Parts: sequence; C-alpha cells; structure tokens
Amino acid sequence: MKITSRIILMALCLAGLFTGCAERGKSVKIASIAPMTGESAKMGEDISHAVQLAVDEWNAKGGVLGKRIELLVEDDRADPKDAVSVASKVVAQGVVGVVGHYNSSCTIPASNIYHEGDVVMITPASTNPMVTDRAYFTVFRTCGRDDQQGYVEAEFAANYLKASRIAVLHDKTTYGQGLADEFKKNILGRGEVVFYEGIARGDKDFTAVLTRVKSYNPDLLMFGGLYGEGGLIAKQMRDLGLTCPLLSGDGVFDPEFIRIAGAAAESAFLSYAPSAENIPTAQHFLKAYRARWPEVGPYSLFAYDAANIILKAIELSGATNGKKIAEAIHTNAFDAAIGKIAFDGKGDPVVAPYVMWVVKNGKLEPMQ
Amino acid sequence: MFLQQLINGLTLGCVYALIALGYTMVYGILQLINFAHGEIYMLGAYLGVIGLGLAQSINQTGFSPLTLIILLLLFAVIFTALWGVAIERFAYRPLRYAGRLAPLISALGMSIFLQNFVMLSQGAREKVFPNLLSAGGFDIADARVSTVQALIFIISIAMMVGLTLLVKHTKIGTAMRATSQDRLMAQLCGIDINAVIAMTFAIGSGLAGVAGVLVASYYGMINFYIGYQAGLKAFTAAVLGGIGNIPGAMLGGVLLGLVEAFGAGYVSSQYKDVYAFIILIVFLIFRPGGLLGERVVEKV
Repeated sequence: MKITSRIILMALCLAGLFTGCAERGKSVKIASIAPMTGESAKMGEDISHAVQLAVDEWNAKGGVLGKRIELLVEDDRADPKDAVSVASKVVAQGVVGVVGHYNSSCTIPASNIYHEGDVVMITPASTNPMVTDRAYFTVFRTCGRDDQQGYVEAEFAANYLKASRIAVLHDKTTYGQGLADEFKKNILGRGEVVFYEGIARGDKDFTAVLTRVKSYNPDLLMFGGLYGEGGLIAKQMRDLGLTCPLLSGDGVFDPEFIRIAGAAAESAFLSYAPSAENIPTAQHFLKAYRARWPEVGPYSLFAYDAANIILKAIELSGATNGKKIAEAIHTNAFDAAIGKIAFDGKGDPVVAPYVMWVVKNGKLEPMQ
Repeated sequence: MFLQQLINGLTLGCVYALIALGYTMVYGILQLINFAHGEIYMLGAYLGVIGLGLAQSINQTGFSPLTLIILLLLFAVIFTALWGVAIERFAYRPLRYAGRLAPLISALGMSIFLQNFVMLSQGAREKVFPNLLSAGGFDIADARVSTVQALIFIISIAMMVGLTLLVKHTKIGTAMRATSQDRLMAQLCGIDINAVIAMTFAIGSGLAGVAGVLVASYYGMINFYIGYQAGLKAFTAAVLGGIGNIPGAMLGGVLLGLVEAFGAGYVSSQYKDVYAFIILIVFLIFRPGGLLGERVVEKV
C-alpha cells in the first residue's frame, strides 16, 4: 500500500515536471514587479492590477503569437537589495518583459540585471533621470522624468505663484531628493531658497522641522516625496499656523493625500500627467479597471500602457527575444491609453507632458 | 520657537512614554523584550478606527466628541489588553523556561505575524482617522497647542498617575512587584504568577492601545507599519530610563521626545532618528542600567 502510494506520488511529480517543460514552450511570461508588502504596498497593488487587466484582455483575444500570456506578480518590498534579487529570479525564470519597478532606488540597480539579461523593462513610475540616462537598450519608462517635472514646477512657482522665499523639504530618497534638487536648480535666480532639508521616510511627526520652516517666513513650501509624508506635512503645517501654499510632485498625487490632510490639502499644487478623465483614449481603461477594482491609482494608467506596449512589441517583432522586442519598442509608435507614445534613444517617452493640478473642494483638478 | 518645540517634544514624548511602559513592565517581570509590543500599539490605532465606524453605525446622531474619544479609548483598551494576554498565552508562556533567546525570537515572529495579519485583513492602504475635536487650540505666548495635543497630555498623565498608584498601593500591584523581584518566592507565598504575568501584559497592552488611539487622532493617518518604528523608539525610551523601572520609562519617553524635537528643530531634521539611536548606543555602552536603573546587587 505504502509503496503503491509512493509510486503514484513519484509519477505525479514527474508528470508535473514534464507539464512544466511543456508550459515553457506554450506561454509567454511577463512580470509585474513593485512593492506588494511594506509601506508602499498600495502602489504595488495599483500597478499589478493594471498589468493584470492588460494581460487578461490580451489572453481573451487569444494571447500573443498564439501563446497564452502568464503574469508573474513579484514583490521587491521597495528595497533595492530585494529588487536586484527578484530581478535575477525573473530573468532566470525566462520572463520576456517586466513592468516595474516603482521606486527609482529599486529600478536603477534592477535595470542592470535586465540590461545584462536582455530583458525588456518598462517602469511605470520611476521618474529619476538616472533610470534611462545610461541608455540601456532594453530599459524604458512610460512616465515622465524629474528634470522635466522640476522644471514645470519651478516655472509655475516663479510665474504663477511669484514665490520669492522658498522652503524646500525632501524625503532623502532618489526620487524625492532628485525632484527637490531639479526644482531648486530651476528656481535659482528667480526665487531664493531660504531653507533646504531632508526628512525621514515613515516618520509621522514633522512639527519640529515645520516649526523651523515657519521661522524663515517662506511664501512657498516645496516638498519632494510621497503622499503619506506629504499629507501629514500639509496637515501639520496648517496646525502650526504656516499659511504659505504647498507645492509637490507626482509622488504626492494620490487621493490618499487628500484623505490624510483633510481640509489642509486645499489649494495644494501638484505637478502630474494630464487627467486621464479628459483623455478620450483612456476611457476604456478607466471603465474596465473600475469594474474590477475600486480606485484607479496614480500609476495604474502608466502600468497598463507599459504592459500593452511590451505585448504589442512582442507581436510586432514576432519574437520573444529581449533585443528584438526592445528594437520594436524603439522603432514604433504605440497607440496607448494615454495617447500616442514613441520612445527616444534613451527609452524616455518623446512627449512627457506635465501639467499643474490643484486641490479644490477636496478634489484634484487640472489647472488651465 | 523654543516653546513650540518644547510642546512638540512633550506631545511626542508622552506617546513614547505610554508605549515604553509596556516594554518596561514586561521586562521587569519576565526579563523579556517584547518586540511585538509596537504592533499592539498599531492594533490600538486600528481599533480606534474600527470603533469609530461602529459608534457611527450604532448612533447615527453622533456622540459628543469627548464621549466618543472616551468610548474609543475604552474599546481599544479592552481589545488590546485581550490581544496582549493572548500573545503571552500562546507565544511566550510555552517558552517561559526555554532560555532567553527562544521567547525573543517568538516575539519577533509575533511582530511580523501581526503586521501582516493587519495588512491582509485591513488592506495595505493608509487608514484615515477623522478629526474629532475642533481644529482650534490655544496659544501660549507665540506657541500653539492644538486640542488634540492638550488631550494627549491630560490622558497620558492621568494614565501614568493611575499606573503608579496601581503598582504602589493595590494588591495586584504588590503581587506584580513581588513577582518581578523573585518569581519562585512569590509563587511560594501563594501568588498565582500566571495571573500576575497575564495582568502585566493586559495593562501594558492597554496603555499601548491608548497611545495608538491618541496617535491616530493626532496625526489622522495610520498604516500597518507604524508599530515598527514606534516600538523601536519606545524601546529606546525604556532603556534610557532604565529598563524594568516604571518611572524610568516615563522619564525616558519624555526625554526622548524632547531630544527628537530639539534635535530636529535646532540642528537638522535629516538626523531625527539618528539622535534617538545614538542615545540608545551611548546608554548601552556607558550606563546600561539607564537613568533610574538600579545596579543589581549580586544576591548571596
């Protein structure tokens, strides 16, 4: 009895092995890699949901190159070390394309692995210039760059807000400090940066540093960082009686920011991509996404486009070889949900529009 | 600015002190650093949000803000106390005689378990705690004290006075002190040490639950991750005051809050966490007994 059950078990294992091999030939693997646990887990969910949606739509149409698409959702825990090991793992598993990572500090080291392994990577969210400045052939992004964003914010601060005494805070991350530095570089000569300092990510109490900001009497506070800290800063600065406007970037652009800051979010200025609601080509995505998940995240649209571009490029090149797919992405323009996307030699979208948004009556609205 | 930083620091310090008490009480009685204690504080904050939802669905017209806060505190205290007792029963009691390392590892495991339990059951998104009290406050000279800050002072001080009275003047307090001095002797005198240890966990966890609700209403935002850092800071506060020593934990908490506020306010906020942990290292090297810690005399 025992022996028979063992033999059956072994047979099952072997069968599993063989089907595993057969699967490799039949399916095309793509991966969504972002923080799925830890503080930024929400962003990972937004991204993986959007990629899931794109993959499901392609599979419903019969997959790509006649093969089923298999999605691997992996967790980099927002940690550069984990990002590198997850990247090595998926490259070894034979994925042909990666949508990810979220944090610039993860995308930059992980992209080395994709570059060496000739795997296409499109980040939907990492805006640091370094991501594409090394001009890796297989590395792209669908979002914009901090230098473009910092420039737009500086123009807005100088021309619209006419700010002259500016305080700058950042969260010491590649993204946050990068954005703050680009802003600072572009505002110099037109406004004076009277205060410049970093805060700790994950901290909840910024009253001490904001009390100090207040003593400099700035007429604008610029923050480079993410929505959690951004919401608390907006709230605590008002509690302390600091009345100047708050200016920040796409990291703060999230409904959570308004929920955390409450009334204090009012008239905060944020730079971000143009509104998906106003883009005709994005309507299908918004409808399909909302039918399955409650809230479209700030990077969901970019992630959806990234997944579609990878799959379309596989179809166009007729190959699952990373170099050939990258070649197809470089040479074609894509009809994405956000509009037409073409990539420059470095892998950045040619048109990376940023517009200013403002919080009005508890809602984010694009400014004219 | 000095006065404002003092107020900022005291608010932060009161919260650290409330959490540090739980560390110190458990250490005093079991010589165990309960690393899951920070997560109890996080549970307290979540219970505040859950309690608020419950209160609003029971009573549509709404309670007055003060009654509501008191109800939420009671709700959080009861459930965090139960959590504390349950954790002790299942994660620490089976390992009580297994040396010091095993319960410590069990505590770390408990901490990871609780974080992920809350993440999976409540979601990874931040939860928002609406502002229950009026947004206003009052001014002392050029400094501003918000209503929530005032509430944090009052409740924390009341809690600390209450705890001191409980430990010094009640029967259970005497039993706790006896158990912490000599567990075997206390047992021989007829003290049910399992009950005393459970009570210690209940009280310590209840205090952390209070801190959780207060912090949720102060910052207005919580996530499943807040217990990690708050736990480390409170542990530092407990070491600073002398771990195992109850007034020491209160003193350590308040001092740590002040150091952070003045450090961030006058030197640089980049190093806010560094100040706290430099203090931890300095104390561990030069005065491991802490400020109020007694030198343990070798018993003959």
